[in-house]
Amino acid sequence: MSTTALELHNISKVFGGTRALSGVDMTVQHGEVLALLGENGCGKSTLVKVLAGVHEPEPGGRLVVDGTEVPLPMPLGTSSDLGLCFVHQDLGLARPLTVLENLLGFAQEGASRWNIRWGREVRKAREMLRSYGVLVDPMAVVNQLPPVDQALVAIARAAEQLKQHRERTGATSSVLVLDEPTVFLPEEEVSFLFDLIRTVVAGGSSVIFISHDLPAVREIADRLTVLRDGRVVAHASMSDVTDDEIVELIVGAGAATKTAFGHGGGAPTDRAFDRTPGAGLDVRGLVGGRLTGLDLAVAPGEVVGLAGLLGSGAEDAPYLLFGARSATAGEITVHGRTLPVDRQQPALAVDAGLALIPADRRRDAIAPGVSVAENMMLLVVATFRRRGVLQTRRMRATADQRADALDVRPRRTSVPVGTLSGGNAQKVVLAKWLEISPKVLLLHEPTQGVDVAARAEIYRVIRRATETGMSVLWVSSDFDELATVSDRVVVVSGGTAVSTVEGSDITPEAITTAVYGAARATGESTITTAGAATS
Amino acid sequence: MSTTDVAERRGAEGAPGESGTPPTTKTRGSWAEKAALPLAWVVLFAVFAALNPDRFLSMGNISNILGSQSILFMLALAALLPSMVGDIDLSLGSIGGLSAILVAVLNVQQGVPIGLACLLAIGAGALCGAANALFVVRFRTEPFIMTLGTGTFFGGLIFWIANSTTIVGVSGTLSEWTYVRVIAGIPIQFYYCLLVMLLIWYVSTYTPLGVRALFVGQSRDVAALSGIKSDRIRWGAFVLAGVIAALGGILYVGTTGSAGPSSVGAFLLPAYAAIFLGATSIQPGRFNALGTGVAVLFLATGVAGLQLLGAQDYAQQLFYGGALVAAVTLSRYLRRT
Repeated sequence: MSTTALELHNISKVFGGTRALSGVDMTVQHGEVLALLGENGCGKSTLVKVLAGVHEPEPGGRLVVDGTEVPLPMPLGTSSDLGLCFVHQDLGLARPLTVLENLLGFAQEGASRWNIRWGREVRKAREMLRSYGVLVDPMAVVNQLPPVDQALVAIARAAEQLKQHRERTGATSSVLVLDEPTVFLPEEEVSFLFDLIRTVVAGGSSVIFISHDLPAVREIADRLTVLRDGRVVAHASMSDVTDDEIVELIVGAGAATKTAFGHGGGAPTDRAFDRTPGAGLDVRGLVGGRLTGLDLAVAPGEVVGLAGLLGSGAEDAPYLLFGARSATAGEITVHGRTLPVDRQQPALAVDAGLALIPADRRRDAIAPGVSVAENMMLLVVATFRRRGVLQTRRMRATADQRADALDVRPRRTSVPVGTLSGGNAQKVVLAKWLEISPKVLLLHEPTQGVDVAARAEIYRVIRRATETGMSVLWVSSDFDELATVSDRVVVVSGGTAVSTVEGSDITPEAITTAVYGAARATGESTITTAGAATS
Repeated sequence: MSTTDVAERRGAEGAPGESGTPPTTKTRGSWAEKAALPLAWVVLFAVFAALNPDRFLSMGNISNILGSQSILFMLALAALLPSMVGDIDLSLGSIGGLSAILVAVLNVQQGVPIGLACLLAIGAGALCGAANALFVVRFRTEPFIMTLGTGTFFGGLIFWIANSTTIVGVSGTLSEWTYVRVIAGIPIQFYYCLLVMLLIWYVSTYTPLGVRALFVGQSRDVAALSGIKSDRIRWGAFVLAGVIAALGGILYVGTTGSAGPSSVGAFLLPAYAAIFLGATSIQPGRFNALGTGVAVLFLATGVAGLQLLGAQDYAQQLFYGGALVAAVTLSRYLRRT
């Protein structure tokens, strides 16, 4: 096997006047996991789409698969014949259907044309999933599976397609492309994915792993290729580079800061807060979701991190407080005004000065087809009215100012927000809520799918907003992040707050220790393996 | 932290059996949910039988329930196909009416043999379906408003062709082969409907094409991104729906021996009532053929029973309309859970 699994030479792509890729070379060896890294907008997605045949590269590029030259441009839909398979962030599963139907819908062979024998297909599907170590019932409806199982099913399905391809054609290699598969997974569950990826590699595939999650890359990848501004800036073995060097490669020399990535640095933890009860946010006896009675206080200007394992209830708190999901009991006090949480509704919450930035940005936080300006000004649109007429020009000008202040790229606020990268879209969401100067900001995984530079910007903007007395409740499974941003971290386990990490004790390690310690103490089933959080 | 924990968490292994039924009937909905509509039908039947045992249970009435509603049955099966792949076709009533008037005009006024006239009507139905597909699928428009438009257009064609009159005197052979002949006391046209229903059921449940169509209906983006030829499947659904609606029109001519400018169109709403009611049972949450069949029987029984009790014509509309409203509400609720 002197060949390589996949080689790209001199791939370029120009959109209009913008050069998305310039002369990219990349090589994937047989049986390796290659990490493809870079900020949002660096060209990763374009490169993947060239491989998938969605984009035609500029003339002069070459693609070699398993030693065989493949003519470019490659017609759409032929990539699977070359032994390439893609799993994107959205997984490509039909969620209202069962796992089995999802497997059958894409089977290229097997089931007869005129008579699907469901009993046999169930057994086959179960065996197939089991052979990849995925213990998921083929009869389960995808919607009802936890996100990690959905990801496992999608990857196993792709791996099986590649296996069938190898058996059918006698090819010795195939390439699985995983495009940010870990983004919507809690950190501690990512390790399940790694086991599966290792199985896939052992079965004879190579893997291209695209991710923002450096600890994950560190754990699973053999080598890395870093793209910046459409060019390859590095090929390296994982063992030859440190995390700091990788960050520097991704964001460019000089721009890299340690705090941007969440290591060290840390928030100023010596600030004094007005701890009068009811001055900021007070939560008493919150019951709902997995919470069984959460008590919590956040002073004006304070950032409180809420940490817990999956199932602890921490991730339910922002939604219950905001009335996005219904709580069964509890009281919330905001700046002296008390409300029963079981009657909370989003409209009331906004009136009370609460803001929620949910984890599922694409579904819950933006209207993708609506312009950046309108998304940003949604909550204050009435203030741009004069004599019953909406002053769109003034509104756009204000939006432009905000875009400038938050470094939203592109600066033009007339484009649909759905065309922005994850980091920039999140800045728009943040701007939208800061526009009403909320008294309390509730955040759930606010930097998922957000690149390193935008992440630092988001931290900075939130920190600045707290200077005017805004309280922040920050729920995240990224303990590095919590350590960076929090003045205090409350650990949730078994549905209640069990301990607090304060002041100079706040380190990722301390939070991790507290979270796992609490889970053990309350006898909660820790389904997790200590994941990347402890890095 | 051990592997057993993991296995337990992702457990749910085992339970589903290995028999030949499709997964949908196993994982979606409880038995009560699936059987609710058939049970409701039995209850409805029993209530009417108790209220009016002599006339309701007479052979003539049962034959009437099963036979006379064949036009509704056929039109519901037509409406089922686009709905299964995530579209909607509101022009099917007009397509059926166009087919009926074509059969009458060709046979009575042009002297075309009845068999050929029926074939031409079916061809016209296919053409209308293709026109719908062209605008909806090819030009990517909203099927709801588009087929409302094409349906009105086809309705205009009906008035034009019929010259706004009712045409009587269609060859008796057609009646013979639809309404007059009976098997086990039930007009033969009921069996045509059963046959079409079973065909749709088999293809949608036991063939890869059916699974692909399911994707197109439930997650069209996923289907497209997985290389399923969604457009081809949607074209097929529209064209076949046109053909089946034309069959409904032919049954209308056979049953009444005539065709007028307003005929099959009145069955469109009850047809949609039937498929939405059908989507609440057998495979809850999905439009399905067997559920549609049960729903047609339910509606037919309700209407026949009300008529025997002396209810006025408006009772039928109240019943159909009420059933559609209830069915849509119920299916929405089912989809959420």
